[in-house]
Amino acid sequence: MSSVDAPARRSPVSRVAGWFTPHIALARVAWLRTVLYLFVILDMHAFVRDTRLKGEHSGLYQPLLLARILDLPRPSVAITTTLYVVLIVTCLVGATNYFPRITGWIVAPAFTWWVLIGMSDGKVDHDHLALVIALWVLPTVKSGRRGPAAYGDQTRSEAAGWAVRCVQICVIATYFLSAVAKLRSAGWALTWPGSAVLTWAIVRRPHPVGEWLLHHPGLLHGMQWVGIVAEFLSPVILWLKGRWQLLGALFFLGFHAANTAILLIHFLPTVVCWLAFAPLERLVPWLRRRRTRKASDGDAGEAEDQAEEGRQAKEQAGA
Amino acid sequence: MTSGQEPAGDVRLGRVGKGLRILVAVAGIGLLVNGSVRATDDAWPFGPMSQYAMSVPDDASITYTRISAQTDAGTTVDVPLNIEGAGVARAEIEARTGEIVKDPSLLQQVADGWAEKHPDEPKYVKLALIRDTTQLVNGRVAGPPTPEVLATWEVRR
Repeated sequence: MSSVDAPARRSPVSRVAGWFTPHIALARVAWLRTVLYLFVILDMHAFVRDTRLKGEHSGLYQPLLLARILDLPRPSVAITTTLYVVLIVTCLVGATNYFPRITGWIVAPAFTWWVLIGMSDGKVDHDHLALVIALWVLPTVKSGRRGPAAYGDQTRSEAAGWAVRCVQICVIATYFLSAVAKLRSAGWALTWPGSAVLTWAIVRRPHPVGEWLLHHPGLLHGMQWVGIVAEFLSPVILWLKGRWQLLGALFFLGFHAANTAILLIHFLPTVVCWLAFAPLERLVPWLRRRRTRKASDGDAGEAEDQAEEGRQAKEQAGA
Repeated sequence: MTSGQEPAGDVRLGRVGKGLRILVAVAGIGLLVNGSVRATDDAWPFGPMSQYAMSVPDDASITYTRISAQTDAGTTVDVPLNIEGAGVARAEIEARTGEIVKDPSLLQQVADGWAEKHPDEPKYVKLALIRDTTQLVNGRVAGPPTPEVLATWEVRR
């Protein structure tokens, strides 16, 4: 046990500090930058896509607290068009991992404002927490290599670990806090899972799968119980490792697939942030290994690579 | 590997950088918990995750708000309440129903949005905000919905 005694000897404070700042390879942050910045562009066209429209017709504009605190101006065509252009350009550049911090510090406030406008009409969606926070934490990471080389950067960094951890916490918070909201809306009572909430949702958004389910209220109650129990237990995933964590992640991806089928709610902005749990930094070494394996049939280098991968898997899985 | 020391390549944070980050993370978690326990959607992104969070009783009346339009082609249609249709989402209309009932001129925007996005289609001449009510009995749908007109608006050209 002496090989792993370092954490055990540390004080509780430094252990908590260590949990918030695990050592994670910069490559994972590089992948997240690319995926999330490109996702923002998709989001602007597919999900929070009415922001520019709100610049044209601001009749129903009702600024949210954050917009009032920051005294943001009422959306106009000039503002929303500028936001659109700036976001497209900075996301495209940021996604390449060149100038990652400058572009990141522009994307974060610009997209936050974009979503603030999009949701300032009386309806707020709850699927953007992890994505918005991810955009704010990504530029705090000082990257080593630039451009394509960043995807293979195995340098492990506490700053990267903190950013990844923040995204993970927000993903899990989305589930856990929605269970809390279910208790709160019933006056802090557990009535939600036995209620007719899914029936209500289906009646308001009718579609074939849902209408079939309307005839089986027992099944709907079963789903509600599974949903709320899973949401309450979701924080466990933050401490699971390796395969168990993967299982937890797959469960919630299935949960979203079911939600999409029953409620037509996809939550993709949260789903994409599950990538913060994935050991993306292993992609490039894995690809490289495959290539060398093809080039020369198994030499000593391969075995070394595998040992190296095993070590990293142990240390970074779950982090 | 047996020394318990960090591999040489690791980039560690300074005391200040680490402390600040942990402070931010803890404050963020605090804001989230506060939002879930006491705040409303207004506090986005730190508001409660209240989508579909309500307990719907087994004898609930389920309402569904829609806008019905008479067109200059003499037809009556349901306005497609989404961005591609009339440029406004159903949830927005539902959230602002009270205001629209008080001031039906807010519906003008719906007609304008439709006309702008679909210049070749029949124009709306009269809009009606309608609430359909579906009754639940013992958690099951009891019958077809009952419509109720909440507001009407003669579209200005």
